[in-house]
Amino acid sequence: MTPVIGISCYVERARWGPWDRSAALIPYTYVNVVAAAGACPILLPPGGGQASTVIDRLDGLVLAGGADVGPDLYAAQPHAETVTRPDRDANEMALLRAALAVDLPVLGVCRGMQLLAVAYGGALDQHLPESVGHPGHLPEPGVFGAHPATFAPGSRVAAIFGPVSEVNSYHHQSIADPGRLAVTGWAGDGVIEAVEDPAMRFVLGVQWHPEEAADVRPFAALVAAAGAPAGAAARARRAVAG
Amino acid sequence: MSRPVIGIMTYAEEAQFGLVDTFAAVLPLSYVHGVHESGGRAVLITPDDPDTDILERIDGIVFAGGSDIDPTLFGERAHPAAHVKPDRDAAELLMMRAAIEADLPIFGICRGMQLMAVAYGGWLHQHLPDVLGTDYHRPAAGPKFGQHPVRFAPGSKCQEILGDEVIVNSFHHQGIADPGRLTPVGWSPQDGLIEATEDPAKTFVLGVQWHPEDSTDFRLFAAHIEAARARRDRHAPVP
Repeated sequence: MTPVIGISCYVERARWGPWDRSAALIPYTYVNVVAAAGACPILLPPGGGQASTVIDRLDGLVLAGGADVGPDLYAAQPHAETVTRPDRDANEMALLRAALAVDLPVLGVCRGMQLLAVAYGGALDQHLPESVGHPGHLPEPGVFGAHPATFAPGSRVAAIFGPVSEVNSYHHQSIADPGRLAVTGWAGDGVIEAVEDPAMRFVLGVQWHPEEAADVRPFAALVAAAGAPAGAAARARRAVAG
Repeated sequence: MSRPVIGIMTYAEEAQFGLVDTFAAVLPLSYVHGVHESGGRAVLITPDDPDTDILERIDGIVFAGGSDIDPTLFGERAHPAAHVKPDRDAAELLMMRAAIEADLPIFGICRGMQLMAVAYGGWLHQHLPDVLGTDYHRPAAGPKFGQHPVRFAPGSKCQEILGDEVIVNSFHHQGIADPGRLTPVGWSPQDGLIEATEDPAKTFVLGVQWHPEDSTDFRLFAAHIEAARARRDRHAPVP
């Protein structure tokens, strides 16, 4: 059976065809890389609760990019540049916790990586240009930057991308404190570019956007982990789910 | 009690949101809201190159509205007013046929109902104003709903759920000419156009021409979700 990978989706006012209305949506780049990795993508909109009911039906979870994570989740006051989506935060935090509880493989992209850090007890830098003194991680609205990232030897991210990789970049927040996650990737200015939890089957966050670069590798690694023998909790879950 | 998981097929469109202009999987949030308000948990399925294995992970499926059905699917050339997405048609027909085969509860809305008719061997009027001589079913040129009554056949699932007659919203220019092996169960009294169809041989195969997700009447969503719950509980292993 084809593995099924859930992708958290955006809720935004959007325009398409004759319409201009509130929509659940995701750039097709995410759908394409998950399908290219050999899995069925399925999108997970906010609302409806029932995180563990949803996680029970999945083999892996992608936390997608998007707006800023609510600073209330790491006990900070919002910065003037911080733009949040509380409905997404609630949905994705619940899905993530339910996934971690059964050792379901998780890949966090950009916002998704930052959400991972917050779930693991960390905190975010709410406006990176003020900390690093340059706009290189988001050169201008709507334009991706690019820079090298260096990865820790022996890490999961290094196994996927090698010791150094050129990455795209579009974010104004970053991880200030990774909590209980291991930091395994850095930009030249010291900004955290990758985090992981080596104790789990597959928990990896990347600060850049591999889906925009049509880089299937991290998605293929997620799918491979999803097909690997599950932990005892996941096996029990599958037996119950039939 | 865990909620039934309801898959909704999305649109695939060039969309603009915030500073982004990109090809996206997109669905009016009202469909998600309709499912969540009616006791289900919505997940969204994209119409690219879908794998029908995904049907084993959901308890029911909704085929949503959107662009016109490609008339080549029922052997006609496209009307000049047609806006078709042949890839979405192909993907949704594949999923619908597999869902029918698996007796998964299916709810078709507008385009979803028309696709259901095609999957059951029927065909469509391509442009109702040519057939009926009026804009009755899509009164305005822009995205603005019309409104009219629909009457239901005695003994149909629709009548059981909605009563003898309801006022519905309306925004479509295609319509069912022949429902194939589906049973027509609801009509617009003014012109006799088919507004609701069912397959009584299946657990829940129901299509409506209007847009319950853009109304406050979620009774059909609730009935679909109850059918999904019953099927899931039947299939659950005995502890």
